[in-house]
Amino acid sequence: MGCPLALCCLLTLLLPLLTPGASMSPAERISQAYDPALYMRKNTSTVLQTYLQCQGSPLSDSGFSAPELQLSSLPPADISFKTWHALDDGEHLSRVQGPFLALTQHLQLMGNDQRDPNPGSPILLAQLSDARLRAQGLLGNMAAIKAALGLPTPPVEDTPGLVPFGASAFKKKRRGYIVTGEYGHWPDRAMRDLALLKAKYPI
Amino acid sequence: MRSRVDDAKIPEPRFWSNWSSWKEADAQKSLGRDPLFLFPKDKLVEEGSNVTICYMSRNQQDNISCYLEGQQIHGEQLDSNVSAFKLNKVSFIRKTGTNIFCKVDQKDVIKGIVLFVSKVLEEPKDFSCETQDFKTLTCTWDPGTDTSLPKRSSQSYTLFESFSGKKILCEHKNSCNWQVDSDSQEMYNFTLVAENALGNRSVSVLFSLTHRVHPKTPYNLFLKNVSGTKATVTWKVHPIGNYSTLLCQLDLLGEGNVIQQHNVSIKENGEYLLSELEPDTEYMARVRCADANHFWKWSGSISQKFITAEAAPSEALDVWRNVKSVSGRPTVTLFWKPLSKLHANGKILSYNVTVENLDRLSGLEVHSVPATANGTELTLDQDSYQIHVTALNSAGPSPASVIVVSGDPGNEEVEEERVNGTEDGFSVSWKPQSGKAIGYVVEWCDHPQDLPCDLQWKNLSSNTTSTVISSGAFRPGVRYNFRIYEISTERMAYLLEKKAGYLKELAPSDNPQVVVSNLTSHSFTLSWKDYSTDSQPGFIQGYYVYLRSKAEKECHPGFKKATLPDKSACCQHRIDNPEQKTFVMENLQPESVYEFLVTPYTSAGSGPLDAFTKVTTPDEYSHILIRIILPMIVCVLLIMITCYLKSQWMKEKCYPDIPDPYKSNVLSLIKSKENPHLTIMNVSDCVPDAIEVIHKPEGSKIQFLGASKSLTETEFTKPAYLYLLPAEKNYSGPGPCICFENLTYNEAAADSGSCGHFPVTPEALPGQPGPLTSPENLLKALEKNYMNSLGETAAGEASLNYVSQLASQMSGDKDSLPANPPEPVLCSEYKMQMAIPLGLASPPPAENSGLSSTTPLDQSEHYR
Repeated sequence: MGCPLALCCLLTLLLPLLTPGASMSPAERISQAYDPALYMRKNTSTVLQTYLQCQGSPLSDSGFSAPELQLSSLPPADISFKTWHALDDGEHLSRVQGPFLALTQHLQLMGNDQRDPNPGSPILLAQLSDARLRAQGLLGNMAAIKAALGLPTPPVEDTPGLVPFGASAFKKKRRGYIVTGEYGHWPDRAMRDLALLKAKYPI
Repeated sequence: MRSRVDDAKIPEPRFWSNWSSWKEADAQKSLGRDPLFLFPKDKLVEEGSNVTICYMSRNQQDNISCYLEGQQIHGEQLDSNVSAFKLNKVSFIRKTGTNIFCKVDQKDVIKGIVLFVSKVLEEPKDFSCETQDFKTLTCTWDPGTDTSLPKRSSQSYTLFESFSGKKILCEHKNSCNWQVDSDSQEMYNFTLVAENALGNRSVSVLFSLTHRVHPKTPYNLFLKNVSGTKATVTWKVHPIGNYSTLLCQLDLLGEGNVIQQHNVSIKENGEYLLSELEPDTEYMARVRCADANHFWKWSGSISQKFITAEAAPSEALDVWRNVKSVSGRPTVTLFWKPLSKLHANGKILSYNVTVENLDRLSGLEVHSVPATANGTELTLDQDSYQIHVTALNSAGPSPASVIVVSGDPGNEEVEEERVNGTEDGFSVSWKPQSGKAIGYVVEWCDHPQDLPCDLQWKNLSSNTTSTVISSGAFRPGVRYNFRIYEISTERMAYLLEKKAGYLKELAPSDNPQVVVSNLTSHSFTLSWKDYSTDSQPGFIQGYYVYLRSKAEKECHPGFKKATLPDKSACCQHRIDNPEQKTFVMENLQPESVYEFLVTPYTSAGSGPLDAFTKVTTPDEYSHILIRIILPMIVCVLLIMITCYLKSQWMKEKCYPDIPDPYKSNVLSLIKSKENPHLTIMNVSDCVPDAIEVIHKPEGSKIQFLGASKSLTETEFTKPAYLYLLPAEKNYSGPGPCICFENLTYNEAAADSGSCGHFPVTPEALPGQPGPLTSPENLLKALEKNYMNSLGETAAGEASLNYVSQLASQMSGDKDSLPANPPEPVLCSEYKMQMAIPLGLASPPPAENSGLSSTTPLDQSEHYR
């Protein structure tokens, strides 16, 4: 863990998981989930920067962008405003839960990929581990909100599906680039969904 | 493809197999669906290798560009779809590998590979093996750079011994332990193989076991019987076999340096006596050992510090003295330099000063001086004394330092010479005087401007006549005085010579305070007698006198033109005698402003040329005026003082209160010119008729002299008249009268222009014993009381007008008063000339006295 503050945040994230049956109102649940999501959004760029510093060109080039790079197992966070605004409460939460589950698995995969080629960068490995725990915490908060709202909580679909374990080192680097990039977008999406619900269910 | 055995067990030479047959591959098939394919994938190479990379594209029309770590690389097109890039001497960039990628322009397709570059596997360096106990051989080496890479562990090390054919995989990267067989194999041939995924390096060594003995570090090192100069060292070693002998090296270190070194052959216990040690000194004993038969390596060292015991100081103190007279008694200040550590032989506890009178038989005086002091002061008499100074430590005293002093300071009148200073110091030389000197002492102060001046001295042998005095305290611009003493055989010091000099002369920093005197219209005198030439930053060679004036453009004789630092011109006069401290400026113009400056100069230059002093010469006649006006003022002042002191006398002479007509010259003048018959009227001829008493209203109460009754203010709102002649109704005297009034005493009456009459009751004049009817009586009373009344009658309380009625000038007969005077005529007024106190107012005359009968008038009436 990077610092005591990060530990506190993680505990906050995991707290709902430890007490899922607590009788909290939806508004309280939403409010409780909002702050950790906000904190997660602020720290996503750190993971990306650390990752790129370890990989070299072209990934670390300042002007590098590869919008065509995508992972089928990790949907992009972009969505049209009209569609997003038309979502109901359950959809707001469900459409975030799936990608976050995929993020946690990809972050785990990234950690494994980096452990072999980059054993000398414990900072990156620690940051990837933190990011994965935060994503899991947010998932737990989403489930708790759904339960508080009385929405059904079916098991989240396992989106990553097949993982190409035989990928080359360059592909692994590129995959990590996509994952850390999406990790920078999905917390922002989740925070906006939570903000919408927070406004809808004031304390 | 071909192959070769690569195993240390297989002796060289090792041969390559034959090449395999060629096999073709379809590049297009290996592409699969991808538009671009790069080869090789995730290649691991050694740093400095040459690497060839190629790519295949599906569409030969695609424009493909490739990059190595962001830098575009250009390759060779092998066919329409395949291109190759040769990378020469690739270098290590990062552990995550070097990225090489190609992209198809306008399709946003990026394909890449990662080239893992490993550090070069180095040959092990400094490979050697040794034993400490003939049981284990320990081989060590320097592995060099670690070549570890992802998924590839770093290099491994294998130790192979060719005689025994044994091989072990070393657990560490820089050492390996080999167990020696009990049958005592003598010779060993070790091969160390370093190996990683890219290759191997090996190094061999052949040796005899007995030549590779590295003993263990000795132990139990002790010092015993430590005295001031000797100490015994003992130690132990680990035995090596039954017959091995060890050579041990014993070092003695002082202050980090090896002072003594001794070799000792031992089996197990070592012992050595160290001698020639210095007392009270810290040493370190250090021991290491090696095989005495076949030296291979020294063992580790063991050391122990120890301090030798103290001994008596080995050298006498360097003592010097300073003799001065305090209150008429010779006072000797002794100085000595602390003994060096080498000679002190321990901690100095105190100093003993023994004083012996050489002229008289008397007991020895012993003074103990604390160790912290470097001197002491003794008060002696005019006799000669021999002084012994010793330093004491716990082991005893030092040899005595002897010096003889006398109350007679000797010849102090030695002419001072100059000595030049250099960078090395002052080169001082002298001429021997007696030829019996046992040595010389040069004395000086390191800080002559301070108190105490930090007296220093230097002892020199008898055959020396010059020396260089140097000190870190010497500074430029400071005058140092050196005194050279000859030390006689009686150990008495006689002053030989005095020298003074500067390490480097500087220009004076201050100018003298100049006093201007004898200022005249044509000259003035400058003097700076308080200026001390001895305390300057150089030898004063003289002075420059600068003079400038707006009135004069040309310089006076003796002056020459000079230019000041501010480019202004002035006149300069040079005084070559440093003792001439006065100068007369002559040939000046009256009523002119002159500016002057006096500055000293040394060999390094003159003082500051900044603060000129202005002097204005007076005009030519001012001194004459002063000679006249000043005495006049003095005379006037004397006259005024005399007049003030003799004012009473002057008053009586010049303007008395009562002028004496007989003493007046005015009458004679008038008589001679206007009326020769004019005579002086005698007051006694005038018969006073009334006295006017005037009381001022501000007096609340007026006390009549001698009267018990006081009158209130309301009772005296109007003047009272004391009639001395019969009232107007009964008045039969001559008609016109003369009235005299003294204006000095009654201004109010004078202003009214009339003489007043006031009634006086008998009760009001109790103090008057006799009647005042007769003029004589009245005058007598007036004269008698006049002087008293001057002091007794308060001014303003009451005023008295004496109104006298005299015979008319027309009648001319003062004795024949008419019984029935005609109608009153205007009187000539004589205003009273003296104050008559109220107490003098006589009671009313007796009724039978014709002249004194008094009838009170109305208070408003005045008799004229």
